[in-house]
Amino acid sequence: MNAYRWSELHTGLAHSFSVQLTPVMMQDFLHLSGDTNPLHLDATFAKEAGFPDVVVYGMLTSALYSRMVGVYLPGRFCLLHGIQIDFSNPAYVGDWLTVKGEIAHLNDAFRRIEIKASIENGTQVISKAKIRVGLNER
Amino acid sequence: MSDILAELQPIFRDVLDDPALQITRESSAATVANWDSLAHINLVSAIEQEFHIRFSLGELAELKNVGDMIDLMEQKLAAK
Repeated sequence: MNAYRWSELHTGLAHSFSVQLTPVMMQDFLHLSGDTNPLHLDATFAKEAGFPDVVVYGMLTSALYSRMVGVYLPGRFCLLHGIQIDFSNPAYVGDWLTVKGEIAHLNDAFRRIEIKASIENGTQVISKAKIRVGLNER
Repeated sequence: MSDILAELQPIFRDVLDDPALQITRESSAATVANWDSLAHINLVSAIEQEFHIRFSLGELAELKNVGDMIDLMEQKLAAK
């Protein structure tokens, strides 16, 4: 886990990591969220809706933004203030996703970090996010 | 209406999630709905990015309303 201090942060500082989506993640998120929508559970329903397979929960992939800020940028002293997410394309079980984050702005007065982040599957952008975090530095 | 006040309108409307909001020089956190402490940080950060200026915590602590903010911004923009 990273543990950036305010003095170590700068605009353009970036991190990324990759994750493969698994059936266990889908089961875990189903139990966590209680979202029983068939688009995420029933392949026949998903195909009738025009998708090749069940669609991975958007909020499951977005949980990776939590890892980005809590573990990588800024890491240990992160305090999540807010996040704005736009979903561009569906993700599917088996996809390898790359999560990228880069500091777009630092507000010195309030020690607020603004991060531009994205999740991609190698060929397409799955989602983009603007993440606002504070630094709970001791 | 000063140019800066006009440029601040869409920022305040976006951050405070109120498309009909009309801020004036007299507007403040006490008179505008949803202008809480987190919204205040969001406003300052958005203004910094839009106008390419920076505020210190001391400068921000002196501000009583939008008019004070505009005056401070004019000083900073003139000094650029």
